[in-house]
Amino acid sequence: MASVAVPQLSGYQRPAVLDWIMTVDHKKLGILYLYFTLFFFAVGGILALLVRTQLAVADNSFVGNDAYNQIFTMHASAMLFLFIIPVWAGFGNYLVPLQIGAADMAFPRINALSFWMLPPAGLLMFAGFIVDGGAADGGWTAYSPLAQQTGVGMDMWIIAVIVLGMSSTIGAANFLVTMFRMRAPGMTMFRMPIFCWTMLVTALLQLLATPVLAAALVMLFIDRNYGGQFFDPNGGGNVVLWQNVFWFYSHPAVYIMILPGMGIVSEILPVFSRKPLFGYKAFVFATIGIGGLGFSVWAHHMFTTGSVLLPFFGFMTFMIGVPTGVKIFNWLGTLWGGSISFPTPMLFALGFVSMFLIGGINGTYSAAVPVDFALHDTYFVVAHIHYVLFGGSVFAVFGGLYYWFPKIWGRKLNERLGKLHFVLMFVGFNVAFFPMHMLGLDGMPRRIAVYADSAGWEALNMLSTGGAFLIAVSMIPFLIAVVMAFMRPKDQPDDPWEANTLEWATTSPPPDYNFDSLPPVRSERPLFDARHSNGEGH
Amino acid sequence: MRRVPLPRRLRLFFATGVAAMLALAATGTASAIQPGGITDEARLMNELFWIVTIAGLAVFVLVGAALVYAMIRYRRQGDELPPQFHGGAKIEAAMVGVPVVIVIALFTISMITLVQIDDKAEDDALTIEVTGFQFSWQFAYNMDDLGTNTDAAAEGTIAIIGTPQNDPVLVMPVDEPVEFLLKSNDVIHSFYVKDFLYKLDLIPGRENSFTVTARETGDFSAQCAELCGTNHALMRFVVRVVERDEFDAWVAEEAARQLGTGTRVSASGQ
Ligand code: HEM
Ligand SMILES: [Cu+2]
Ligand SMILES: [Cu+2]
Repeated sequence: MASVAVPQLSGYQRPAVLDWIMTVDHKKLGILYLYFTLFFFAVGGILALLVRTQLAVADNSFVGNDAYNQIFTMHASAMLFLFIIPVWAGFGNYLVPLQIGAADMAFPRINALSFWMLPPAGLLMFAGFIVDGGAADGGWTAYSPLAQQTGVGMDMWIIAVIVLGMSSTIGAANFLVTMFRMRAPGMTMFRMPIFCWTMLVTALLQLLATPVLAAALVMLFIDRNYGGQFFDPNGGGNVVLWQNVFWFYSHPAVYIMILPGMGIVSEILPVFSRKPLFGYKAFVFATIGIGGLGFSVWAHHMFTTGSVLLPFFGFMTFMIGVPTGVKIFNWLGTLWGGSISFPTPMLFALGFVSMFLIGGINGTYSAAVPVDFALHDTYFVVAHIHYVLFGGSVFAVFGGLYYWFPKIWGRKLNERLGKLHFVLMFVGFNVAFFPMHMLGLDGMPRRIAVYADSAGWEALNMLSTGGAFLIAVSMIPFLIAVVMAFMRPKDQPDDPWEANTLEWATTSPPPDYNFDSLPPVRSERPLFDARHSNGEGH
Repeated sequence: MRRVPLPRRLRLFFATGVAAMLALAATGTASAIQPGGITDEARLMNELFWIVTIAGLAVFVLVGAALVYAMIRYRRQGDELPPQFHGGAKIEAAMVGVPVVIVIALFTISMITLVQIDDKAEDDALTIEVTGFQFSWQFAYNMDDLGTNTDAAAEGTIAIIGTPQNDPVLVMPVDEPVEFLLKSNDVIHSFYVKDFLYKLDLIPGRENSFTVTARETGDFSAQCAELCGTNHALMRFVVRVVERDEFDAWVAEEAARQLGTGTRVSASGQ
């Protein structure tokens, strides 16, 4: 099938640095994406520790109010735009061509362009900290008119987000073409690995939703710099328009941030249960359903603006619970009757399922409109976001790293350190974020730099801060495991986990051109079929 | 692959982990009921909160228990391959049906609550005009619009204006509907009184309003819930719910001070 002829000058070896900079190889780009996004995970994490330090005690003056607004805004912006959204492009870049048995992405050069748009955008966004007026400080939601008031850091933020959006839009087109056009012989759409399916729906969401965000940001930029009045009621504009357009993108975006994580978990659970994913087609349709419904619920972030058709958006939001519930059943059904082992990737996958379950349940509170009137913009919503994005997405990221590390780097991460990492992170996460439910119910609004002693929120905040630092500590065994792995030779076989999908049919790491030969694809588990070619169990 | 029986320690870890989470969830939700809100509307919302909580806990406990059970019961005990079950039409239909029933039920109940809350709105209620600004509040009372049973002590409007350092006090009578008119001229703020279990945004270019009937007297702390700039965290205020006669006395006193027309109240007050 599709293969890319790479002209080679014999005898000439590019210096390694140049090789990384000039590469159009999807695997190398995937690795670059992973390094880049994990770097910003660390940056965002440090900002989060600053936030938690400030909030640990009442009436604290560790950072000032202005600095606090910049810190939490940049924490969210880094975590969403520079970590979680592009990290899936990293996994996708590395894995999609391998999983469908292709030699590369459909447009390797455009792929390199997608990646190289990220570093300048990240730099630009963070350079806000050194300009007059500081970095963007209006929240990652940049609500107008507040976003009209702040300094040039906000303009830098706007441009950075537009560039990041362009990167993910062209990346999405690349993924779609790759999956539609370059699948191995025999791989019908319904034999595609489930991670690819989640990348496919994610790419569709990015293609359709991200340009809307770009339009909104351009309007905001015009309002700020050229006297536009899109969001200015004094000039006939409409303040709530910003929120409508922003959430029209950003609700689908929350699925952009989690669907590939669901895909990773749905790769890991079957392998370590030694059973196929339970209800593969139901999972695919649920993913498509979430993607579609995701476009009709945006105003549930705006129930308290008084300008939302409450029954419609309440209903659609509840309906999203249906495909979400289907997935929980998919995962349970996969475990049920299996033969389950618990290496580190599996622990993170199970962590994902249990934490995402809570994230779905506490989302339901906000879907019940009158309850949302109480909980909106309180720490309850902060708990919800983190149960889905941290307990969900971040656990999936680490599950994926432990799972594919042998494939990508040819070495295995130490199991003991991995388990320690998981336990510390799981406990730290719950200690950090569960108390936020109580704080929200007790009336603590989000995005406040200080709270009064008399509010009575100190004990729970202190607890939460302790949990946040425990999460930071959990990174130590992970980093040690990575260093230890890189000190050892590449010793991993093609398929160390007895897995199902095509990336395990080639060497670890794979050669430049990916495959010497492909096994026949007769189901969504070609490697399982190859291992049990007598037909047993099918 | 090596056989991996689940070590006892790990089993213990899972069991205690789940027990701890259940306990945490229970205490968390239990702590939530304490105040329960002080208005008729809040009580309705509180009921809905409990219905959602019970449904949520039921789902959590059932799914959580199934998860833990599966992990223990179906842990790998040998190399023999388990039955390769892919799913089936009936069970997949149930996977859709169960959540459909749950979410439609919850949606219906929420809408019933929403309608009940809206029903409470009344025209002749006392109206308080709330203006949010960076970074405090103004509460204005029009002397023509003080509720059904008050004769205006004067013409005009009395206003309470706060500063970030000095939280303004919103005084309102108990046991009668009070309407809040919400306005802003700079950025978006949100009028959030935790004990109303309610918040509504103040949006430039738009006027929002809502009505509540408070059933308890006392001082209740409240604050802005929408990020509005540097001192957003200091946009605090106090809602003081008092008996009607106390409210009338307070109005008369403020009118005397602000409008200079009051003769009924001595100026010596606090
Ligand atoms: C059953 C599924 C879910 C339901 C019913 C749900 C519902 C909601 C609702 C109603 C809100 C608005 C709350 C408020 O601001 O008052 C919200 C906020 C949010 N949700 Fe979800 N959600 C679900 C799943 C997810 C997932 C899967 C993600 C991301 C991966 C997610 C990410 C977020 C984020 C980031 C916010 C806050 C945005 C902000 O204001 O900054 N949610 N959710
Ligand atoms: Cu949403
Ligand atoms: Cu505010």
